[in-house]
Order: sequence, then structure tokens, then C-alpha cells
Amino acid sequence: MSQQDNTLLIDVGSTYFKVSNQDSIEQYFRDFNKDILDDLLHRCGDTIQSFDKDDVYICSSANGGLNTLIIGVSNTYSLKYATNIAFNSGINIIDTILYQNIEEYSVPSDLVDVVIIVGGIDSCTGMFTDNLYSYLAKLSYSNIVFVGSEQDAPIIKEKISNLVILPNVIDNKLHIVEDYLKEYLTNLYQQDIEGKEDIKNLYDITANRIYPTPYIVNKALPEIDARYSVVNPFILLDIGGATTDIHYSKDLVDENIVTKNEFDRLVFKKLGVFKSKQSLIFTAKNNEFVYELLMHLKVTENIFNEQSQKATKILMQLAIFLVLCKISHYKKAYINLKLLTINSFVLTGGITKVLTKEEIENIIAFFYKKILTSGHRPVVVLDSNYDIWTLGLKGD
Amino acid sequence: MKVVTGVVGNDIHVVANRLIDLSLRARGFEVFNLGVNTYLEEFFDAAVETGAEILLISSLNGEAEGWGREVKLLKAKYKDLDNLIMMIGGNLVVGSGSAEDIVPKYKNYGFDLVCHQVDLNTGLDSLEEFIQQRNKK
Repeated sequence: MSQQDNTLLIDVGSTYFKVSNQDSIEQYFRDFNKDILDDLLHRCGDTIQSFDKDDVYICSSANGGLNTLIIGVSNTYSLKYATNIAFNSGINIIDTILYQNIEEYSVPSDLVDVVIIVGGIDSCTGMFTDNLYSYLAKLSYSNIVFVGSEQDAPIIKEKISNLVILPNVIDNKLHIVEDYLKEYLTNLYQQDIEGKEDIKNLYDITANRIYPTPYIVNKALPEIDARYSVVNPFILLDIGGATTDIHYSKDLVDENIVTKNEFDRLVFKKLGVFKSKQSLIFTAKNNEFVYELLMHLKVTENIFNEQSQKATKILMQLAIFLVLCKISHYKKAYINLKLLTINSFVLTGGITKVLTKEEIENIIAFFYKKILTSGHRPVVVLDSNYDIWTLGLKGD
Repeated sequence: MKVVTGVVGNDIHVVANRLIDLSLRARGFEVFNLGVNTYLEEFFDAAVETGAEILLISSLNGEAEGWGREVKLLKAKYKDLDNLIMMIGGNLVVGSGSAEDIVPKYKNYGFDLVCHQVDLNTGLDSLEEFIQQRNKK
């Protein structure tokens, strides 16, 4: 454990708690029949009570985060830029609509936490028509923000009540402008976390602000060298119970997005080993290489029906493989990383407690051989003591 | 008028791209230069985001021949680009070929103006002439 001073750090995930003080780091499986605070106090009440509220720092990725819908006029600019900013603001759940086809999209039945409308550089006008207002009239949402052409802003403001207008995310050279939307979304996420009853109760044990976990992890990455010998460029995989988060060096993308951050974040919302287990299995069954992978791991698909430590291990190995497929040229997705130039794979989260370094290396080698037909072997680094999370939380 | 320009495909001829940019600006166009190594979708998306009236694609190493075939299909997916003036120029084949063969081929791909191995100023003159003719209509 790397912590030197007398603080208690707590991470509340969708599946586990992690509690860290200067002597130890502990992980507890959550009891979903209990309120988060009650569960925490039941498991490690004595430890928590021994710390002053000022010395307890909490971050959380529980309860899903904000549900976001982005309506933009092009895939390459408005939708891509807004999606990039949303991921880097810690948002997990993002759906997008290409505006020109808006009539073809179904309207989500669930309440959308935030709708982002984006499109056009500032000298453009008339990017949106009545189709937008008709769609929004059928949609339930809590917040709505416009980050497109400044000339369109007053026109749209007239038609949509409660519309927040922020500076355009696309400048006149078609470059991304992140700061305003990022700040808005981060604050909204923050309010959302603090507004959740379960999380609100945690202020009984801390006097400090509760941050979203992805925000904390992303903040630690520039300092990662302080803990590990990680060679750039690297990716960090956080395979959790509900989602899989990837944080990656910007050197790994050849994109038209030029930002100030050294690292970007990407989330696969239905690839987790606990809450999203069934969707992970579904994705696995639809991947043509998975049966070969199962053979390689010396198991059959019956493992999907098992409830055992071995089954969890296999699911985690599958999650690594599927995530790598999703960010490779094999599956054209939101982003394709230059996987042959990666020097290090850093893994954090519950996976580090379940898989060994060798087991992870085995999967990565299988992926490079089968999908990229390469013998490339990046170095695997396990953040078994949650040093990255500790670094981010302490650094704040 | 707004022009989106850039070099298509895996082509890094940045000097030509810069000269096109400067020449267009000198003639009073508002230029959105996407630079080298640009994919077709990026060109069309930039036209949507900027409200450009002209798309000027350049190609120096013959890459355009492969990409050109996709133009009609891709452009058809965009609902508001029917009036976009489509121009392509540079060295439009791998190896050698005559303009008599190449120009009709690219027009068939969906380009209004095709300049194969034509001097830059001559090419831009033809663009301005095309715009004038279109405005008269």
C-alpha cells in the first residue's frame, strides 16, 4: 500500500467496495439488499469510525452515472467531439443520433438525464429544423444543452425551454473545444452522484466531495510512472461488474481530434462480469473467435452456465479479448486504437484480484496472434493494490 | 464562398495541399483545409458542418482512383449535399493515362470538375467559371 498519511480512501463500485488506509487495502462484495452506507458500516464500521470525516475520501461509479443522448449533424465532427468530451467527463451511457436521419430513430422510453445538441461552426445557420423539436417533444429528459453554432443558439433557445447554451464544441478550423461542455457534464455528473439517496448518505462519513471514479482514474494517469514502470503508449483496462472502461494514450489514435488531454477514455457499457454478465456472454457467443479461445483455455461453452471462481476467471479473460476486438480494426467502432504500437497494458479493478499476470498475458497473446496476426507482446502491469485509484483520489 | 479541401486517402502530399489552400484564399474563398490523409466521409461531414458550397479534393499519387468509386454511394447518404460543387484535381491515375479517358471516368464518379495534371491556376479558373455559369442558371 502506497498511502503514507492518515487518510481513508473508499471506492464504491457497482459490485465491490474498496477501502484503503495506510496499513491495508480491502475489497468487499456489495450486499445489494442493503443501503451502501449500511453495507459499508457493517463490513468495516470500526475502521471508518476511527477516521475523522475530514480524512475520509470517497469516489463512486455505482448507480450507472448519467444517461446521455447526443444529437449531432455529422459522425466525424459533432457526434465524435461531443462523445469524446462526454466520455472524458466520466459519462458511461451514451447514445447518438445523426440528425439528418432523426425521423428514423426510435424515442427512448426511459428518462434521459442529459440531451446534447451539437452541429455547425459558428458561421453556419439553419442546421436544425422542426424535426428536432418534434423528436424532443416525444422525449423525456431532465437537462438539455446546445453546443453548436452560435447563430443557431437563439433560434433553438426560443423553441426549447430550459435549454442551456454553451460555446460551440467545434471551432472555425473544425477543431474540438472541450472545456465548456466538459465542465458542464462533470458538474452534472457530480450533482447526479450527490443526489442519489444511497450516495448522499455517504456524506455522513466524509466531509469531502465525492468524485466519480473514472474522473479520479483519468486524473492519475499522467502520474502513473510514479508507481509503475509503464512504457508509453499504454492502455488501462478497468473491467468492472457493470462496464469496462478503457483509458488510452492519445498516441494510439490517428484521429481528427486534437485535445489538451494526454489520455482519452472509452466505455463499453454492457461488458462487465457481474451486472452485465449476460450481455457479455451474448457478445462472446457472437464472436467467431470465442469458441477457439475457449478451446485454448481448455473449457467448453458450458462454462457460461457455471457459477464458480473458474467461470468468473473465464468471463474476465473473455472480457479482455472482446474489448480488444472492439478497439481493433476487426470491429469498426467509435475508435480504433493502434494496438501494434502499445507498449504496456495496465489492468486495474476487480480483475487484478482474480486473474494472474500469466493468465492475462495468455489472452493478450491469443488476441495478437489471431486478430492482428502478430507476435507483438506488450508488457502487462497489474494494479493489484489499486495504486492508480489511490493516486488519483489522494492527488485531488 | 466556403470550400472544403484536402488530400484523399493515404496520400501525404502536403505541399500541393498548402498551395491549393493559399491559392483559394487569394481568390477570396473561405477555406476549410482538412490536410493530408483524409477519408471521404470526413470531406462530406466537413461540408455539412461548415455549410461549404464546394468540395475540392486533391490527389497526387493516384489514390483517388480507388476512393473515387465510393463518392456517389457515400454522397447519396447525405440529405443536404445535392448542390455541393464537387471538384477533383492532381494526378488522378496510377501510372499514366490521358485526360480524355480519365475526365469522363471521374465525372461518372460524381465530380462536376475534373483536373488531371492541370496547372493549379487553370484549375481554379475553371472552378470560378463553373460557379459563374451555375449562378446564371
